[in-house]
Amino acid sequence: MSSVGSSAIGQRIAASHTTYRVLTFALFAAAWEAYASQARSLLIPRFSETVIGFFTLLTDRHFWEALFISNQSLVLGFSIAVVLGIPLGLAMGRFRAAERAVDVYLNILLVTPMAALIPILLMSLGLTLASRVVLVVLFSIVMIIVNSRAGVRQVDPSLIEMARSFGASERQIWWRVLLPGSLPAVMTGVRIGLGRAVTGMVIVELLMVAVGIGGLILEYRGFFKADLLYGTVVIVVLEALALITLARRLERRVAPWARQSGVMERA
Amino acid sequence: MIEVVGLNMTFGGLTQSGGSVEALRDVNLRIEDNEFLTVLGPSGCGKTTLLRAIGGLVTWNSGEIRIDGRAVTGPGPERAMVFQNVALLPWDTVLSNIAFGLELRGMAREDRERKAMELVDLVGLSGFERRMPRELSGGMQQRVGLARALAVEPKVLLMDEPFGALDEQTRRILQEELIRIWERTRTTVVFVTHSMDEAVLLGDRIALFSARPGTVDEVLRVPLPRPRSRDIGSIERSAEFVAIRSRLWERLREMQPDLRRPAPVARIAS
Repeated sequence: MSSVGSSAIGQRIAASHTTYRVLTFALFAAAWEAYASQARSLLIPRFSETVIGFFTLLTDRHFWEALFISNQSLVLGFSIAVVLGIPLGLAMGRFRAAERAVDVYLNILLVTPMAALIPILLMSLGLTLASRVVLVVLFSIVMIIVNSRAGVRQVDPSLIEMARSFGASERQIWWRVLLPGSLPAVMTGVRIGLGRAVTGMVIVELLMVAVGIGGLILEYRGFFKADLLYGTVVIVVLEALALITLARRLERRVAPWARQSGVMERA
Repeated sequence: MIEVVGLNMTFGGLTQSGGSVEALRDVNLRIEDNEFLTVLGPSGCGKTTLLRAIGGLVTWNSGEIRIDGRAVTGPGPERAMVFQNVALLPWDTVLSNIAFGLELRGMAREDRERKAMELVDLVGLSGFERRMPRELSGGMQQRVGLARALAVEPKVLLMDEPFGALDEQTRRILQEELIRIWERTRTTVVFVTHSMDEAVLLGDRIALFSARPGTVDEVLRVPLPRPRSRDIGSIERSAEFVAIRSRLWERLREMQPDLRRPAPVARIAS
């Protein structure tokens, strides 16, 4: 009985959330429309034009090809970052030697503006898929490593001691305590890393290798196709949002015991 | 039989002055088979450190701990611990947590779950075996902790203030349950506590610890009859209970460090 009541309240709250969102969005769209019609600039499309541009792009084969090319570097780079970053971060969290060996480079990656690395990458790897992939890796791997490391470190030491008292080997401690214990933080790292991978994907195309979505943005800007330019940006944002929502779902699914696991949300 | 012989332990260089803390000094203790020994002392007296040493979780400077004549060098299958903060795996069900020790020993899933179910019944958690630890109250969580330790059928049960974090009523109920279970299993138990009532109620003997450095001040035999699970209320009102309790309080008050020694503040000021 009480659960029925509370779920009804939950639905009402959710409904009012949606109402708010629709309202604020409508307000935003109206302001945009008003400003753009008054500005009459080639570079600022009206909201309605952007919407039309958005749907035009969805039917454009040229656009889908660009999206595919961009996502190649995203998928490859992000996968590499996950496969390398998680074990590295976990090892750094547990073993002093790994921490000492890698910490310096991790700090360099943390403080270096990634965009500054692009010319260096291009000079060594050329205008290739490889250089785009490497950049996506560099963009996303830092957050994955840092969060995985924090994940291992924040595992309750009394759980490790308990496992040891029951005679657990280091291997058993990894499988039964450290890995499940760090999973929430690792998943947070993966989610933040994914956001950074999308950033890396677009930035490298904008700044150097004018292909894919970045290339398209540059092209539309050159021809003053403001509606298509804005439409493209909207689609990139939507893709990033969709991916991150997916990652968040996965996070909750694999680690339901951890309500809040935001360890290092400085993306 | 557990023998603790001339145990000394120092935590080195941890204080700001660079000095070391003497945790245990010349601890000698003998715990017979099937005996329930309670270790009582003021907080910070090293009684938990002693328990962790017997558990093989820490190393010491000199002296020896032997179990049935064999020197302790690390954790072993004949010992199991119950922790004050319970330390349950939050991602596992009650049943998996209870079966954890058996799992580490490589017992097949079906066998260990059958064994764990027996313990679910023993500690009164029937119907909760598929729950997650966070869904349980503190008292029920500690029942899981006890069941997990009993599941590996240890010869020695090491309990580190297991009821210390519980509220009064829950603690009472769990003490009664522990007495009931112990009087059925008669496992050798070393039970660390800072509660005088608990030390008397549960123990066959009480090892009274003094603080800084931690050492055994006195070992008292508890003259209360077994089984005690029948009528705990009348045991607590008995003359023997009251006598040993006031004896303990006398000794504990004498050894209160803040009453006997000059306060450490004086040293900082100079």
